[in-house]
Amino acid sequence: MLKTGARKSGGRALMGRLVYVLALLSVAISLLSLVVILGDALADGLPYLTWRFVTSFPSRFPTRAGILPALIGSVWLVLLTALFSFPLGVGAAIYLEEYAPKNRVTEFIQVNIANLAGVPSIVYGLLGLGLFVDALALGRSVLAGALTMTLLILPVIIMASREALRSVPKLYREGAFALGATRWEVTRQIVLPEALPGILTGTIISLSRAIGEAAPMIAIAALVYVTFVPLSPLDRFTVLPIQIYNWVNLPRAEFRNLAAAGIILLLAVLVAMNSVAIAIRYRHQRKAV
Amino acid sequence: MKEPLRPESLYVEDRVIHGGGDGKLSGSTDIIEFSGFNLWYGDNHVLKDISLRIRSNIVTAIMGPSGCGKSSLLRSINRINDLIPSCRTSGVLNIGGEKIYDPDVDVYELRKRVGMVFQKPNPFPKSIYDNVAYGPRVHGVPEEEMKRVVEESIRGAALWEEVKDRLEEDAFSLSGGQQQRLCIARALAVEPDIILLDEPCSALDPIATSKIESLMRQLSEQYTVVLVTHNLQQAARVSEMTAFMYLGEVKEFGSTKDVFENPQNELTENYITGRFG
Repeated sequence: MLKTGARKSGGRALMGRLVYVLALLSVAISLLSLVVILGDALADGLPYLTWRFVTSFPSRFPTRAGILPALIGSVWLVLLTALFSFPLGVGAAIYLEEYAPKNRVTEFIQVNIANLAGVPSIVYGLLGLGLFVDALALGRSVLAGALTMTLLILPVIIMASREALRSVPKLYREGAFALGATRWEVTRQIVLPEALPGILTGTIISLSRAIGEAAPMIAIAALVYVTFVPLSPLDRFTVLPIQIYNWVNLPRAEFRNLAAAGIILLLAVLVAMNSVAIAIRYRHQRKAV
Repeated sequence: MKEPLRPESLYVEDRVIHGGGDGKLSGSTDIIEFSGFNLWYGDNHVLKDISLRIRSNIVTAIMGPSGCGKSSLLRSINRINDLIPSCRTSGVLNIGGEKIYDPDVDVYELRKRVGMVFQKPNPFPKSIYDNVAYGPRVHGVPEEEMKRVVEESIRGAALWEEVKDRLEEDAFSLSGGQQQRLCIARALAVEPDIILLDEPCSALDPIATSKIESLMRQLSEQYTVVLVTHNLQQAARVSEMTAFMYLGEVKEFGSTKDVFENPQNELTENYITGRFG
């Protein structure tokens, strides 16, 4: 009896070890590829990442070329996108989570929002080109770009916000309703403050996706050689990923170093944004204990 | 003034359950009236043809086994059941002569008159002060009166001495029993007539429970208290009237003394003698 039992558990233990090794391997592969990419970019780009690089305009001469217009363009883009996508996304999430009747229509909307999050970004780019650039005659402006990015990240913000709203305990809602609060009072005073850290985290992570997207901006901006800084939402613009893409395609080797420097800058912006998201989440978790 | 202890009383508390007709019961009038009241969640018929008259300024206990509908009955009284989309009702439920399921009833005003305390203490993630001030703020009580309202409410819930120096602290810093009394204070702050308590002690230890029980006695001087409990001793200790529910029906309703000492329904007798539950 004991012997067969031992053999059986031997097989199970082996299975356990196998899964452990496979899981470890998965982590190793992901980390290793990250290290290689980062290492490559740092080795190529770090010597070129100077203050002059950050504050100069693009140039035919690698030694004079800088990334300023793309950096400012990306900042414009992300600020405007945040301005549009946050209220829209949170509003939609509040409607779906707190107000909408739980029926087939709501379910249909929900499934489609999830589907929209999976639509390739170039499709949004083409939609933006048709809708904002041409039909609404906004031209190839920062505004058109930001509206396109808003459409792109809206599904993710809605889903993250719904998740955050749903995680607020039902007990809080019932407690407030039982005191005679209206649906809006309960939502604004009890539910939203609790859900806000989750909503902000989702929003920031979506925005950092927007800042790294090149495909839809190629459709909208299509500018690769910009010698001015956009000063209003209706100015033309370029963004970091497009500038990087452009440099990679130029024949001279030094431009590839410039691209690497641009990548480092872009990564730094992304890490900074994600750190804010993590800090918000961390602070909230500490409070909840 | 306390009633003299009667030797034949079964009950250990410092009071006696009266049969209908004398003492506190005679001074009270019907305030909540169910007649032919039904409630469904989807196709599930949870409350069946309920007719029940709950009197003012006493404690009425509703007891029965799990799933008998006692919580649903309680949650009908402040219409918090409305939050469940599949919930439907028929029949009449009157409070102070007003049909509260009429379409033109202001449900927010109703809930101001009918406070509720839940099974698990559920203070908001705010300070002790802001928890109590939440209801009055919603109903437009001016801030300059708030201090007084908050203090009176916390005193009313027998919590003042314990929290008076820490009103700005997080409500979660309180113990479970204190949190539950804070929730009672929060309910008192909107000056209700009726207080519904849904198994308020089920998450509490015996000492905290006895504090809440004596608080319920005090509250019934001023308010109509309806208590749902699965704890028989608790029903016996704190209530003047007791209803026994089984499978969505009220099987027995009368003075607590009668229900416990001389139950008319066999099911009630089996329940209070511990043969099921």
